[in-house]
Amino acid sequence: MNPWLAIVIWGVIIVLLTGPMITLPIFWSRRKPDPFRDMPFESGQVPQGEARHRLVMQYYPYLLMFVVFDVVAMFLFAWGISFTTMPLDSSFPVILFLILLAAPLGYALHLAVRKENW
Amino acid sequence: MVVFPPTTPQEVIALILYIITSHTFITIIIFPGFIHLTLVVMFLTWYERKLLARIQLRIGPLYAGGPGGILQPIADGVKLIFKEVMIPYKADKPLFLAMPLMLVLFAALPFAVIPFGQHWVIANLEVGLVFLFAMTSLFPSMILIFAWASNSKFPFLGGLRSLFQQVAYEIPMWVAALSVVMLAGSLNLTNIVEAQSKIWFIVPAFLSFIVFFIAIMAELERLPFDLPEAEPELVAGWFTESSGAVFMVIFLGLYMKVYLMSSLVTVLFLGGWWGPAFLPQPVWFIIKTLIVATFMIIPRGVYPRLRVDMLIKTGWTRLLIIALANVFLTILLIHSGILSAWGI
Repeated sequence: MNPWLAIVIWGVIIVLLTGPMITLPIFWSRRKPDPFRDMPFESGQVPQGEARHRLVMQYYPYLLMFVVFDVVAMFLFAWGISFTTMPLDSSFPVILFLILLAAPLGYALHLAVRKENW
Repeated sequence: MVVFPPTTPQEVIALILYIITSHTFITIIIFPGFIHLTLVVMFLTWYERKLLARIQLRIGPLYAGGPGGILQPIADGVKLIFKEVMIPYKADKPLFLAMPLMLVLFAALPFAVIPFGQHWVIANLEVGLVFLFAMTSLFPSMILIFAWASNSKFPFLGGLRSLFQQVAYEIPMWVAALSVVMLAGSLNLTNIVEAQSKIWFIVPAFLSFIVFFIAIMAELERLPFDLPEAEPELVAGWFTESSGAVFMVIFLGLYMKVYLMSSLVTVLFLGGWWGPAFLPQPVWFIIKTLIVATFMIIPRGVYPRLRVDMLIKTGWTRLLIIALANVFLTILLIHSGILSAWGI
């Protein structure tokens, strides 16, 4: 059997069997709406202002590093599968790239751990 | 004789019997599939409460039947199903109800590629590890959408923290798994386990085992990394507004993910189903997985919580560098021929 088809069947089964767990209780458990009970929880206070307000974008250098290293990690997997089957000199460019990567990684970390750059 | 479409009652019965006894049906419904998962998740919730209670010199669940109150999860489930589902009045209702289901879906889909035995796997996928990582990376996004949908301040902050945590710990986790992929030469999880028939990868890739274990503790948002649900600061974090059945489904998803990540550690580092032959393969697998799950639960009773900046800094400056160094160590180990006695 095609493995992708099995995964699709498995996903459908999960949705079919867990869906009733959340949809059925809504029918028998919902009483009439109450403005105090349906208030968002803020330790007993009446909520003030917007919940979805804009926040300061902190730890920005780490996010930039994530964008770069996400791609690097994914391409390393493509090299990692065939590493044992090919001779060492053909994976030399990747090793060189990883060594060269140490300098920008070190500089990025040097910038990222400083509090004024957060 | 199985014919499709069936015309006589005998053919209908034959078709149903054929489907029920087929390997795919058994794997999806019974063993690595739904019934096994539900039972293990129920056991894990009881096990965590009992173990934490023993660490803190309490007794834990006691009265819900069986030895040590082992039927407590069933009592909790029945209680939660009949409780009222409270939805905040400014919440996005469809998203608020759909996201817990998505959490369960994305926690349970990767089980399709986990091999519980040589043939006990739902889908023997060639790119199994990448599929698994792709599904688990979607989890924090679902958390953020759920937090956004509940339109309350505490869940929103918790959801954002969850996203930051993923940013810091995803890359070390992948790079730690890369050493295993290099040793096994495959992304298929069945092949990775078969490559460990002589030596478990925890021995040649011990550093990456440490990095991977810490990274998945952060992925799972368990103490000392449970900032998205930090009780003293954020009430209950991203699921503050969930109640009743929504809460139950979220917890089903969370504990499924604990079991998923423990079984991933077993597959990648602890030799999967391999063990002495007096027990069947799936039993060995489950024993190892529960041992790993125990080591994930124990820190919750022992360690304090980290601060956000400490957490992100540890992920990038320590774990990533150790994981990258371990890639070089793996290159050396493979090409120096030390491991050739074990067929690597």
